[in-house]
Amino acid sequence: MILKIAFRNTFRQKRRTILTALAMIVGFTLLSLTIGLSDGAYGNIITMFTRNRIGHIQVHREGYLDKPSLYKTIDNVSAVGEVIQSVEGVEAWTPRVYGAGLGSVGEKSTGIQIIGVDVARETQATRFDQKVVEGSTLGETASHEAVIGKGLAKIVSAAVGSEIVIVSQGADGSIANDLYRIVGIVESGDDATDRVGCYLHIEDAQELLVLNGRAHEIVVIVSNINQVDKITRAIKTQLSDSTLDVAPWQEVAKSFYRAMRTDQQGDAISRLVIMLIVAIGVLNTVLMSVLERTREYGVLKAVGTKPMQVFWLVVCEVVIIALGSICVGALLGVLVNYLLSIYGITYPEEITYGGMKLKTLYATVNVRCLVIPAITVMLSAAIVSLFPAIKAARILPAKAMRTH
Amino acid sequence: MEQNQKTDVIVAESVTKVYATDGIPVNALNGIDLTIQSGEFTALVGPSGSGKTTFLNIISGLDSPTEGKVWLAGKVLSEMSGNELSDFRRDNIGFIFQAYNLIPVLTVEENVEYIMLLAGVPKAERHERVIAMLESVGLTGVASRVPTQLSGGQQQRVAIARAMVSEPAIILADEPTANIDSKTGADLLEMMRRLNEETGMTFIFSTHDPMVMESARRLITLRDGRVDTDEAK
Ligand SMILES: Nc1ncnc2c1ncn2[C@@H]1O[C@H](COP(=O)(O)OP(=O)(O)OP(=O)(O)O)[C@@H](O)[C@H]1O
Ligand SMILES: [Mg+2]
Repeated sequence: MILKIAFRNTFRQKRRTILTALAMIVGFTLLSLTIGLSDGAYGNIITMFTRNRIGHIQVHREGYLDKPSLYKTIDNVSAVGEVIQSVEGVEAWTPRVYGAGLGSVGEKSTGIQIIGVDVARETQATRFDQKVVEGSTLGETASHEAVIGKGLAKIVSAAVGSEIVIVSQGADGSIANDLYRIVGIVESGDDATDRVGCYLHIEDAQELLVLNGRAHEIVVIVSNINQVDKITRAIKTQLSDSTLDVAPWQEVAKSFYRAMRTDQQGDAISRLVIMLIVAIGVLNTVLMSVLERTREYGVLKAVGTKPMQVFWLVVCEVVIIALGSICVGALLGVLVNYLLSIYGITYPEEITYGGMKLKTLYATVNVRCLVIPAITVMLSAAIVSLFPAIKAARILPAKAMRTH
Repeated sequence: MEQNQKTDVIVAESVTKVYATDGIPVNALNGIDLTIQSGEFTALVGPSGSGKTTFLNIISGLDSPTEGKVWLAGKVLSEMSGNELSDFRRDNIGFIFQAYNLIPVLTVEENVEYIMLLAGVPKAERHERVIAMLESVGLTGVASRVPTQLSGGQQQRVAIARAMVSEPAIILADEPTANIDSKTGADLLEMMRRLNEETGMTFIFSTHDPMVMESARRLITLRDGRVDTDEAK
């Protein structure tokens, strides 16, 4: 009965209901939008960061991540690779070799990072070929070719066609040096890497560093980023090799991950502000409606309605409006986020995040952008209705009857 | 009247009420001693501000006296908790107020059945009693309308029906005829008089209406919060 009265009251005071609902709907949609956009942006950044660069999961010799060393290698690369490929959810894997050295083009020399890549695998896994902005990518067979970062090319004044001499130390302690022809220039999206990066065919790199088929890193790409943790565990058990570390991207790029987390917490504050504004608006209309109906509550109490029932009456009215608003808000939220996930918002200026350049902000439609606003709207509506509800429950019928 | 067959349904003992709004004390009731017996049809009269409404509110537990005690159906009102009072009012007292005392979003039928619903009367019985009650107050065919679709007199009939349907021991009515024309008022009064005789319910009115005074069996006049005269007719 209380519910019935509450339900009909929401229809009787149409204007007030619409006003209250509007505040809730706008709040819901805004919340949904901020979550959709922020999740979209972070999702986008994470995809770029992992998919195009560090991969979703990396395998190393134990301790390599904390303290990289030329000698901490994965010895049976293709065997490990095969095991990884057999794990469900794995899309691709690619081995890498790393080494430090000195690169000279003509008169100019600078410190470089040698990155040996399996060209075919690297292209498949991290779209290596698409990062080449000038010249061409490395050939699929080792032929003393090099592709260098854009920054590095500038430092040593190299162009496509130049020759680079690399001096380094081999794993056997020997001094290694060799000559490579620069066939392409890459832009990985990370300027720091591009200032030192020098990509060689993995076999050329292994020969230079005297690694005999060994590699430092295996990068794994999975088909669904949300299953990274599960797949990481699966790879670990499948490999069953305690001398190998298997780490998800969150661990590989700890500081990047942490920075993003903090950023996301910042978003929570803007959500709180939106909700506060909505709550104040709702409180206002609900309080007004309680004051306006003092007499009615007085009658209800005079004829034997318990204070608790009057309390629930007010809460129910607000909750009913909130439920309706959540439904409408959900539709609007999904629609707006969906549209923005297709068309996006173009930044007035290109922004850089963690070395990645972003031009357009795309929203995403996920469960979070429905569930979080729904819970927030419902909770704040319920909380906000407490005060007017207590007020209504405490109305003294004798007094209320005197007010016309 | 055969006094010895009646029971005392309301006993007020030196009831005083002091309102202290804005710091200025107003003595609304100044020591009222009254006994109302079952089956009475009593009018409470007196000039405006003499304390009629205040007295009705206090004997029904809607308001508490500053001093003094009230027994209602054998119980001391001031000793009951809020919820006990709610239930007690629901089961023992029917209210009819001057005006606007229906729940606007409920239909006539729902308004009348509301108190029985609170009391947990089964649906079939509720419906039966509502229909019978509406008929005896002369309201047929409007059961599914809402109060705003009724005239003032019809609304007051609904209020009477609501007050009486759960068969409370006492009906309290604060100026029930003040907002309706005298023809309708006379009809309603006649109806309540009949119900009083048929059911033996106790009726107490506050009124300025000579017609109500005329038909009352006992006339209590209040003046400045005191009982001025108390005559049985
Ligand atoms: N809530 C209140 N605060 C302060 N004074 C009040 C309050 N309610 C009533 N009074 C005062 O108490 C006195 C009695 O009021 P009450 O309403 O009982 O009179 P009444 O006999 O019902 O008058 P009327 O015939 O006009 O309805 C009046 O002087 C009134 O001003
Ligand atoms: Mg009065």
